[in-house]
Amino acid sequence: MANLNMPVKAAQLRIKRVLREKWGLISWLAIPIIIVFLMSLISGSGGGQLTGKVLVTDQDQSSVSQFVTGAFNQGPLAEVFTVTEVTPAEGQQLMDAGEASAWITLEQGFGDALLENQPSTILLVKNPAQSILPQLVESSLQLLVDAVGYLQVLFEKELAVLKPMLTNQKFNDAELVMLTLGIKSQIERLESTLMPPQIKMVEQAVETAEATEQNITFGLLMFPGAIFMALIFCANSLTVSMWDDAKQGVIPRLASTPAALGAYFNGQVLAAAVILGLIAVFLGALGGWYFGLPWMKLPLTMVWLMFAGLVIWQLFATIALLMPSGKVANITINAMLFPLLMLGGSFFPMESMPAWLAKIGTFLPNGFLLKGLKDWLVRSEPWLDALMWPMLLGLVMLLVLWVLNHQLIKKLVYKV
Amino acid sequence: MINIQSLTKNYGQMVAADDINFTVNPGEIFGLLGPNGAGKSTTINCISGLLKPTLGEIFINQHSVLSEAIKAKASLGLVPQDLALYEDLSGRENLNFWGQAYGLNGQALNQRIEVVLTQVGLESRAKDLVNTYSGGMKRRLNFACAILHEPKALLLDEPTVGVDPQSREHLLAAVEALKAQGTAVLYTTHYMEEAERLCDRIAIIDHGKIIAMGTVDELRSEIGERDLITLKGDFGKPQTERLAEHVDGFELIEWETDSVRFMAHQAAAQLSEILSSFPAGQVKQTAVQQANLESLFIKLTGRELRD
Repeated sequence: MANLNMPVKAAQLRIKRVLREKWGLISWLAIPIIIVFLMSLISGSGGGQLTGKVLVTDQDQSSVSQFVTGAFNQGPLAEVFTVTEVTPAEGQQLMDAGEASAWITLEQGFGDALLENQPSTILLVKNPAQSILPQLVESSLQLLVDAVGYLQVLFEKELAVLKPMLTNQKFNDAELVMLTLGIKSQIERLESTLMPPQIKMVEQAVETAEATEQNITFGLLMFPGAIFMALIFCANSLTVSMWDDAKQGVIPRLASTPAALGAYFNGQVLAAAVILGLIAVFLGALGGWYFGLPWMKLPLTMVWLMFAGLVIWQLFATIALLMPSGKVANITINAMLFPLLMLGGSFFPMESMPAWLAKIGTFLPNGFLLKGLKDWLVRSEPWLDALMWPMLLGLVMLLVLWVLNHQLIKKLVYKV
Repeated sequence: MINIQSLTKNYGQMVAADDINFTVNPGEIFGLLGPNGAGKSTTINCISGLLKPTLGEIFINQHSVLSEAIKAKASLGLVPQDLALYEDLSGRENLNFWGQAYGLNGQALNQRIEVVLTQVGLESRAKDLVNTYSGGMKRRLNFACAILHEPKALLLDEPTVGVDPQSREHLLAAVEALKAQGTAVLYTTHYMEEAERLCDRIAIIDHGKIIAMGTVDELRSEIGERDLITLKGDFGKPQTERLAEHVDGFELIEWETDSVRFMAHQAAAQLSEILSSFPAGQVKQTAVQQANLESLFIKLTGRELRD
């Protein structure tokens, strides 16, 4: 009877003691949330879209220059960029402070040069601390410059007529009609070549559309790894606390009772499963809500996180029990903790690591368990393909380490 | 109830327990006395199943500790020398845990918890966390955890070390009550007055061997009515040996460069004669101790019990 009740009783006590240590519990939950938040801020993306600021210094102040700068205030670009007009001094100051993604300067005479089919210059300064947004500004400007180049070639005569009108702001009705007709006839001449297009682009929706429904942001790539971080912190604390029990004399005394030490150890496994499960449910639900993950995927995500946490707990337990003292166990596991977190994709997503480093990460226990989860959860690979091998490997680890730890726990009777 | 047969425990070349034999009967308190490192804890650890003996057999309530460990352990309660409690749980929660470890459950466990809390005088503090208890209260709770399941045999390893007089009295009274109920108690202590008050029989252990065993009276009779005289000063060995030879009834027990011990009948009456045989100023300090277990221990081992 004692052996049947003992694991449950030992688990209850452990859970009670963990819940009483509120700050420990809060830190396990808060640290990953804070890290994801900070990393998302640093990378310039959270759960939502990329946004940036473009500075414009328009020294020309012509209709043509306003047309160019206005391009960033229209269409899809307007959803990404906020355009702010600045003086050269303000522009320099804001760029030095890193407060904008890019700074565009249109020199005086830009509009005239364009209309006279003369070379003209657009000066672009990019923020080196950002990668995606400045590149987007550069690409957009390049498209604009190409378009203007075609206009200059195709509508050279019409631009020559238009220039004095724009310069003097006087529009003669007859000249306007002539200009319009000229443009119309030029378009009609080109129509046979341009319309209908010789190449037809067909857009086709992919059937497994779940992944395409959600944007894969940096935050989303980080979120499963961050939960692993919470699980690893928690597993570390729980395994080392077995040494605390030994130091308090509980384990040696327990060895003098009819209750086997194995029952005590099973209680610790049970408690770890419950506590890691609670963390998985809380952080899984929080992440699922924030990143808009499909709710259907959350139950399996939570089960997987608890399973992964338990594998890591068993591994840490083996290491802790192999050590000669609680202090050495603590130091050893802490020394392993950060390489595991770094390489295993908890601090940085493996997707942002060099390929060879990411490869190493996938050989770590937390790494292969995390990769499987992300392949299924974020990249929408079929669950069987993504999770089967990590699950089998994890189950083997669980079983082997459980048997080993049952033997190792007995050593705590004498080591203290 | 506790039967130790030829218990031997070796650590490599070192013999921690050497052919130890004794029996503790129901309703008997058996004292195991010895200095640190004498082999007391090794003996206790072998009895409680924490250590496997190199040789010999141990029976608790007629069950072998080696071959019927669970049955033997179910009949045994252990009060370890170091506290073995969850300090971040309440007294009641600790009792509940240890009760379940001994196979108690439900109503029976709750009833026993109330009984032992009263026995050790902690009923009013049962809900408080153990880390708020005084040292004496922790010792009492440590004791209570071992008697929840009403063991047939109880091992107490220095249960009163560092305990205030009130808690000590509680503990000693509780041990006497267990004896009255028929529990076989094996008690180790440094405190001679505790041993003399509680123990029906005593074994003195040194270097892993039992060097004397018997009732308190039997052991006292080994010393006779002789007192122990301790002189502090700078003495030569030939000088102290000559003194022992020339004074009637004097026996040299121990000689060291800065102290010497004799046993003598009515030492107080002969003290002036003894002191006059030393040159003036050579004896710095004098102590006379009446015959007791401490002086027997010194006679047998040449060492004090607390060494």
